[in-house]
Amino acid sequence: MISARSTALIVGLLAVALFGVLATRDSGPDRISAHLVSQPAPPLAGVSIAGDEWDLDAQRGRWVVVNFFSTTCVPCIVEHKELVAFSEDHPNDVRVVSVAFDDAARSVEEFFRTQGGDWPVLAAKTGHIVVDWGVVAVPESYLVSPSGYVAAKVVGGIERDALEALLTELSGTIRS
Amino acid sequence: MRLTTRSNVLWFALIIGAITTLAIAEIAERPVLTHADRVHRLAEEFACPVCDGQSVAESDVPIARTIRLSIASMVDGGATDDDIRTMLVARFGADIDYTPDGRGWTSLVWVLPVVVASLAVVLVAISVRRWQGKLTYSRKLAKPLILGMVSVLAVLAGLFVAQLSGSRGLGDSLSGEIRSSTRSLLIEAGVSPIGEAISIYTQVLDLQPSNTEALAYRGWAYRRDGNLEAAMADLEAAVQIDPSFPDARVFRASLLLLNDEPARAAEDLVALDALRAPPIIDDLLSATRLRERISSALADEGSLVLALDLLRSGLTAAPRSAGLLAERGWLLVRSGEVDLIDIGVTLLNEAVATDPLNPYALTYRAVVRLVIVGDRAGAESDVLEFESLLFQPTELVALLKSEGLIS
Repeated sequence: MISARSTALIVGLLAVALFGVLATRDSGPDRISAHLVSQPAPPLAGVSIAGDEWDLDAQRGRWVVVNFFSTTCVPCIVEHKELVAFSEDHPNDVRVVSVAFDDAARSVEEFFRTQGGDWPVLAAKTGHIVVDWGVVAVPESYLVSPSGYVAAKVVGGIERDALEALLTELSGTIRS
Repeated sequence: MRLTTRSNVLWFALIIGAITTLAIAEIAERPVLTHADRVHRLAEEFACPVCDGQSVAESDVPIARTIRLSIASMVDGGATDDDIRTMLVARFGADIDYTPDGRGWTSLVWVLPVVVASLAVVLVAISVRRWQGKLTYSRKLAKPLILGMVSVLAVLAGLFVAQLSGSRGLGDSLSGEIRSSTRSLLIEAGVSPIGEAISIYTQVLDLQPSNTEALAYRGWAYRRDGNLEAAMADLEAAVQIDPSFPDARVFRASLLLLNDEPARAAEDLVALDALRAPPIIDDLLSATRLRERISSALADEGSLVLALDLLRSGLTAAPRSAGLLAERGWLLVRSGEVDLIDIGVTLLNEAVATDPLNPYALTYRAVVRLVIVGDRAGAESDVLEFESLLFQPTELVALLKSEGLIS
């Protein structure tokens, strides 16, 4: 026979266990910022707006900043000059590639002509790339290590100094 | 005692029967879906990653559109539902999946309700028996073995439900849809009074600003309510967003005719003819004689060629339409050109032969027989047929009166 006290104890233990499970799960924002990190980078290849074939796999051996953006998104416009400055600081050791999301190739060309930036930009048929990378909203950027793994993800606008610090930290981690 | 035993057996059989029926219904083979159906159903089963309470099917934000295209591409490529589910969950996380799978901690979503419901049923049964005095307090809950077995069975049943959950469609849930989708709102609006319908369509548009169906039907509701300016704004927006939505084309054409813009109205109907509109649209056009009225308006303002083109476009899709044949014949006769009159008379004869009870075909031929051919007997014969009809459009009665064919 199960006494009332035993029943209460069992129910209480179950409630505590459930609470523990729920409390120790990653929160939504944690999952968003950690998504893909430490995993092999998804495929990223296509024809750039300059008409050149571009493939992330061909960039092994150097860091790559993969930047998802749209010309109609204000934080993307704000981050662009930071990205231009970062790119100029790293002409050889880091490659930047931009992937336009839900944007017209003509608008993207015009955007780069007026805002600067001479790195490869993929603008055509990027829907499958966006889904492969699990991009939810632009701007989003990923730092891909020389071995082809996603080392970090930045949700929202990128800043040159923060990106620099992240790169230094991750380079040190990988070397050590 | 024997009676009680028999009663228990009956109850037991009833419960087993109910559970078996539910299980069979759950795992029974479902009808084959088209690719488009599968894409839509799958899109309904995933949450838009950046929206609040909207599925990928309902949302118009770029990422939802992109995911829909991705699903369509995978379906066309032969991927199974599980492949697509696995891919999307891997890319966007488990939270995107409205149908949690039956593994790991997520299975609690399925197991717990079954366990709780089963235990509740047992406790109620025990309580009832105690009230009936069939279970003495000394035997109360006195069967931990039974309780234990029920718990184990409940957990197993929960796990069974959890395992089946992977193939559960939204419409298959016992409790039905939990979200109030734009689809259900649109259905609700369709049976509501005009003012309420406008309010519901506005709710849909708050959720999905580019929902073409809501825009088109709110525009039509505005037109019925007399607010022609708002109606035109909605219908223009609907056609701009989706030029291939037939309902928006028909509604706008009707409104344009009302606004004395028959040429633009004709453009909408010609565009409609190039679409694969559902049969209900053809019925709507036929019942309202919209194409014929637009053609007549065009002819009245001197654009006979446009009018004939519009009718020819309609006849290409429906070559045996007596209404269109009659209208085309009538316009050709009205042109006054000898060659065209001959063709017109032929078309009117063809219209009557196709549908001997078409009031327009009968009236037009009667007038032509009297005025052009000089065949009064033939004209009177057509009028006789016309007068036998239950529905006699007033404009036709006026036309026959003006020619002295009826008093």
